[in-house]
Amino acid sequence: MEIIKIKNLSKTYTKGIFQKRQVRALDGIDLTIRKGELFGILGPNGAGKTTLLNIIMGQIIPEQGYVEIDGYQITKKFPDKLKQKMNMCSGNPNFPWSLTVYEILKFYGMLYGYSGLFLKNKIENLIEIFSLGKYRNVLYDELSTGNKQKLALAKAMINDPEILLLDEPTIGLDPDVARKIRKFIIDLHNRKKITILLTTHYMKEAEEMCERIAFIKQGKIKALGTKEKLKKLTKTKNLEEAFIVFAN
Amino acid sequence: MFSQINKIIAFTYRNYLFAKRNIYAFIEVLFWPAVGVISIGLMSSFLALTPELKAFLLTGAIISGILQVAQLDVAYGFLYDVWSKSLRQTFVTPINQIHYILGSWLFGIVRGVIVFVLLGLFAKITFGFKFPDVKIIIISITGIFLSALIIGMSVQFFILFFGQRIMEIVWMISTLIMLICGIYYPVSMLPSFIRLIAEFIPVTYFLEYFRISYGFVPVFKNILIKGFGLSFIYIFILFVLLEIAMKRAKRTGMIIKLSE
Repeated sequence: MEIIKIKNLSKTYTKGIFQKRQVRALDGIDLTIRKGELFGILGPNGAGKTTLLNIIMGQIIPEQGYVEIDGYQITKKFPDKLKQKMNMCSGNPNFPWSLTVYEILKFYGMLYGYSGLFLKNKIENLIEIFSLGKYRNVLYDELSTGNKQKLALAKAMINDPEILLLDEPTIGLDPDVARKIRKFIIDLHNRKKITILLTTHYMKEAEEMCERIAFIKQGKIKALGTKEKLKKLTKTKNLEEAFIVFAN
Repeated sequence: MFSQINKIIAFTYRNYLFAKRNIYAFIEVLFWPAVGVISIGLMSSFLALTPELKAFLLTGAIISGILQVAQLDVAYGFLYDVWSKSLRQTFVTPINQIHYILGSWLFGIVRGVIVFVLLGLFAKITFGFKFPDVKIIIISITGIFLSALIIGMSVQFFILFFGQRIMEIVWMISTLIMLICGIYYPVSMLPSFIRLIAEFIPVTYFLEYFRISYGFVPVFKNILIKGFGLSFIYIFILFVLLEIAMKRAKRTGMIIKLSE
């Protein structure tokens, strides 16, 4: 069953003082994501991966195209009911710097309408899952990069999303922390069968995690399919080599 | 319904946490407003003003303190996200402008009431300031809090529309309003074209209402109807403008720019 349907999606940014310079970020994207799928979006810098995720999350309005998520056409209006089912986490996350780990989770939990013992238990559970117990009263500004990323993932899980968008979630992390985060995402996907859209620069990460992959370049989908299909298509042994073929 | 209230309280809670850990919040609440009251009080003693004139001036100092503090909280509700680049994190949640504006405003009201009580008591003990009737206090201060909401929402609108480059200019809004609305003088003293502008500023009417207690006749008629009427019109307009600015920010990618 398809949970995200994207048709002919385009986005152009205008830049410069007089807004005359135009940058085409997405150019006629067609894509469907199945319910419960762990889907990877790969592409070089500036390919349009983050813009695509931001449109799916309702943070950018495209000038053309159609995006339907779980039956809602979000380019017209992004309903709160849908926001309640979705969440996101990006690499190099930003949160209010003078709030502690516990306060950040509490604040975002409250934004989903939770309160009291229900919210408290939810936060405690997330703190335990992400091994943040030692840091519960530490200010965000004082956390290590790895713990900031764990907190970002914990925040992304505060509403038990059915659709999770991960924008380079392991960027800049130590291999050890990155491995733990990858393991968490895979476990989460296997356990809850939630739909996950993942953008990454790391081909091994995509190879290890994603069921299907779209390769984007200059705002267009250059290839789409399973890892095996992409490798076969490029006559390469791994995704890294396939990436180089597509990128050139 | 309860979940909607929770979303509003979330922003009150966050403003409280920021204020708790920020030494400047203490300076905003007490230091600058107290400096204003002390300066005005000493000046009016030096000039040997009548108790009524002294009360006229001290009213200006106290009201400007409340207005400043409460409007900052409304603006901060949005600016905390801009400064910490977490705007996107906030707007992916199922909230809208009403939640964060009302939530921040609630904390502004709490801080504003504290400022009013502390400054009023200080002015009473030190300079013999006389509090008006409770009814007049409640009505005037409610009006001032509505004006703080208007100024805070305007700050949000300008930043959402033009980005952070406008920041230095938007802070001038409350100072300009004080200048025009007759903070330390009756608006009748102002040149006619500025007086005309003052007629469109709700604070003008709430200041006049407060000062009735000290025997000053208002320059304008139907001051409460005009004060509250204009306030509600402006709040409605600003909600519409903020909605437009938010859509524009999503079209231009401003939300993402402010989050990077």
